[in-house]
Amino acid sequence: MKGTYLGEFEELVLLSVAILYDDAYGLAIVDELERQTGRSVMISSAHKALMRLEEKGYLKSRMGGSTENRGGREKRLYQLTQAGKKVLAESRELRNNMWKQIPSIVFDGSKS
Amino acid sequence: MKRNTVPDPPRWALKFFRWFCNDHLSEAALGDMLELYDRRLKSMNRWKANVLFVFNVIQFLQPFAVRQKSTPSSNTIGMYKNYFVIAWRTFAKSKAYSFINIAGLAVGLCACLLIGLYVKHELSYDQFHENAARVYRVNMDLKFGDNRLDLAVANPLFGETAKEEVQQVEQFTRLRWYGGFLVKKGKENIAEGNVAWADSTLFDVFTLPMISGDPKTALSEPNSIVITESVARKYFDQTDVVGQTLTINNTESRKVTGVIKDLPSNMHFQFTSFVPMIEDENALEPTWAGSQNYSTYLLLKEGATREEVAPLINKMLDRHLGPQLKDVIGKSLEEFNAEGNFFKASLTPLPDLHLSPGKIGELYASGSIQYVYIFSAIAICIILIAIINFMNLATARSANRAREVGMRKVMGSRKGALISQFITESILTCTAAMIIAIGITALAMPFFNELTGKSLTASMLLDPSIALSLVLLTLLVGMISGSYPAFYLSSFQPVSVLKGAPGSGSKRSMFRSVLVVFQFATSVLLIVGTLMVFRQLQYIQHKDVGYNREQMLIINNIDKLENRVQAVKTGVQQVSGAGNATITGYLPVNFYRSNDSFFTSRSLDVKDMISMQKWTIDEDYLETMGMELVEGRNFSRDMAADTAALILNESAAKFLGAKDLLEKKLYRIVDERTKLVHEYRVVGIVKDFNFSSLREAVKPLAFTFGSDAGAMTVRINGDITKTVSAIEEKWKSIVPDLPFEYSFMDADFDHLYRGERQSGTLITYFASLSILISCLGLFGLATFMAERRIKEIGIRKVMGASVSGITVLLSTSFLKLVVMGVIIAIPIAWYCTDKWLQEFAYHIDVEWWVFAIASALAVLIALVTVMFQAIKAAIQNPVTSLRVD
Repeated sequence: MKGTYLGEFEELVLLSVAILYDDAYGLAIVDELERQTGRSVMISSAHKALMRLEEKGYLKSRMGGSTENRGGREKRLYQLTQAGKKVLAESRELRNNMWKQIPSIVFDGSKS
Repeated sequence: MKRNTVPDPPRWALKFFRWFCNDHLSEAALGDMLELYDRRLKSMNRWKANVLFVFNVIQFLQPFAVRQKSTPSSNTIGMYKNYFVIAWRTFAKSKAYSFINIAGLAVGLCACLLIGLYVKHELSYDQFHENAARVYRVNMDLKFGDNRLDLAVANPLFGETAKEEVQQVEQFTRLRWYGGFLVKKGKENIAEGNVAWADSTLFDVFTLPMISGDPKTALSEPNSIVITESVARKYFDQTDVVGQTLTINNTESRKVTGVIKDLPSNMHFQFTSFVPMIEDENALEPTWAGSQNYSTYLLLKEGATREEVAPLINKMLDRHLGPQLKDVIGKSLEEFNAEGNFFKASLTPLPDLHLSPGKIGELYASGSIQYVYIFSAIAICIILIAIINFMNLATARSANRAREVGMRKVMGSRKGALISQFITESILTCTAAMIIAIGITALAMPFFNELTGKSLTASMLLDPSIALSLVLLTLLVGMISGSYPAFYLSSFQPVSVLKGAPGSGSKRSMFRSVLVVFQFATSVLLIVGTLMVFRQLQYIQHKDVGYNREQMLIINNIDKLENRVQAVKTGVQQVSGAGNATITGYLPVNFYRSNDSFFTSRSLDVKDMISMQKWTIDEDYLETMGMELVEGRNFSRDMAADTAALILNESAAKFLGAKDLLEKKLYRIVDERTKLVHEYRVVGIVKDFNFSSLREAVKPLAFTFGSDAGAMTVRINGDITKTVSAIEEKWKSIVPDLPFEYSFMDADFDHLYRGERQSGTLITYFASLSILISCLGLFGLATFMAERRIKEIGIRKVMGASVSGITVLLSTSFLKLVVMGVIIAIPIAWYCTDKWLQEFAYHIDVEWWVFAIASALAVLIALVTVMFQAIKAAIQNPVTSLRVD
């Protein structure tokens, strides 16, 4: 678990890439994050996280899909790698495990 | 195209982003930002979208997005290495030009450094005091009747009263010349000249670090003395001497209560010993209208300003002055002021003292802001001339570099790279010149110090602020001198350059011509200045000053002889070769002065007052000095009534206006309190003689008959050296306990004008330097022109041109420029020298022939420089020049 530490923001970015599937590029990811979390996200932070995740090997990218409203510039489209999928699954499993270990009294108790 | 659909944020922001952002991110991130921008345009105005776009760009300024350093596309370091190599090869290839360039710049920079140090020293006076910003000197500006006086001194009580009555004054201190005394060392007596009375508060006001002793009490007991480190070393061979005694004038003894560090040379007074002011009886005299003898300094409280304090001290002055005026002249202050008279106090900040115009009663002669300006201007002129040389030679030689430039451009060098190449080259040249200049400066320093009377050292150049400005100066001069050649050379078209030689078009040579004209105009200006200063100084030295100063021996220490004065006088006069002798301290060539007020009526009305020098002399004075009586007679020892006799000078006579002044009565207040008044009778009028700077007109003066033992002046008729040593023998036989100290009157006179003479010599040297540098440049240009036209000259010779014809051909183009420079310089020089001369009450006129000489000199020097090359080119055998291709 130690070597594959994933920050919260990084995890959210990975999830957004997964959700967007075929059209996961910078601005779209920003939009998705903002929509999902309700927080405002800076383009630079999204790109920073994407670069780091790519360096770590969780994402791969290709260029493509230029449009007129981008001044004819191409997008960098991101896609999860196997490692990326694995790290997301691990993270989810970790949480599930931990959730399971919470004594039921904690949440039930708070209800009453 | 569909231009309007393309988002269009500020271009510079786009450019900036592409410049700093790495390639991996650039395209995609920029695309994202543009898309966002496009989206924003729909919901907000353009301006706001632009701001947000710029904001986005700035957000990317983080390490992850920034381009990594090593960009393989441009090899900057390698190119700079290449520039160095090429620069070195160019230097080595044309040694003569490089020498002219570097030597010219080095000499110019050296002059700049020397002047810079001089100016810095002048401007640094009294800046170092801890309280410099809060210390002010009190000046008194007075007007009585027709007498207008600006004094640097105040009455005895001014300082203390100001401290008591004006809340903003924290402390005061007073200084007054004590004069000198003899200090015993073993059996010898040594004269110490720079002694002052000082208040015990001296060290509160000025920063004079004490090595041993207590600054608070050092000057509070009578018979104590504070000495400087070097005086302590002189008498005790050590500095820890507090508590020891010095024997003064053979009899008194003074206890050393403090040893201070030597006063820095940039301080407006240079005393070496201080004795307590409480010993000075006059220091307690409660006089406000009378004697003003004390240099008074006020230390203001933190936050108090001069504007605030000046009116307060004037009110204080009025309060105390009023009653005294009433007592002495029987008029109230209002009546006094209503007659147009005034009595005002003003304050000069301590750091400004040295360069403020000198007033009456300054402790030491002050500097001159005028010379600071003149020298700064000269430094700038010289460095400009040197820079112009560099530009001229570099552009003139551009043909030699044109192929290199063409080649570089073909190989892909951009204009920017070429500009940086040539600027690098000129900065390199300049650095070399600066290193040489620092060397020359260090060598020239003792010589320069002798000229200026300063004690500057080359190590001052190592001072961080100066060292930094040297580096900046090098870069600046390098950039300026490199800029024109750099832009000029880098703009060559490779095609035309590589096809054939670039025409050294008339536009280019036009620019060079303007520069040469400027150089020679500056040189002529400096030559005229030099000649004028020189002639004015000659005029002063040879002007009939109204007395004879040649072969006059002045013997000091007469005041310590007591009852032996007459014996010495008779003894000295017996020596063969010695002529007349007179005993008095009042001489036209020293600073021994006494000002007094005389009235033409016994009622002592201010309207009838005349402020004059009052010199006490004996009956031999006029004859010994060679002064001429215009009217009346000399004092006579046989007439008892002559103790109340006066001899006036012509200025005083003119001031009094009346025709028949002989036997006229004048009155003088001897004591303000008892109202004791002396009556004098005019017995003679002496021709005006100069007794202060020749910058000022002769002021009114009166001789009274009496004895004053300040000095003895002896006229020497025989051989000077022999007579003086005979007189010394005589002195030693009569007064073995006192040293024989003497000076010559003509030397003392020259000393008075040392400032002017020093500046005169300095200007002469710097003017010669500037001409030398200009000529170096001209020489380079002429050499180059002759080289360029070598084939033309060869062909002309083959076709039958004569040597003289070719010489004239080559010289005239340069001569035209020099003549133009001369024409431009003359009116400016006329204006400047005239202004300078107006400062002197006695001065030469601005005469046309000085300009003629200066112009002729400039033309001649230029001609010789150019002709040398022209003739060399003209006599060359055409075979050698035409043989190749």
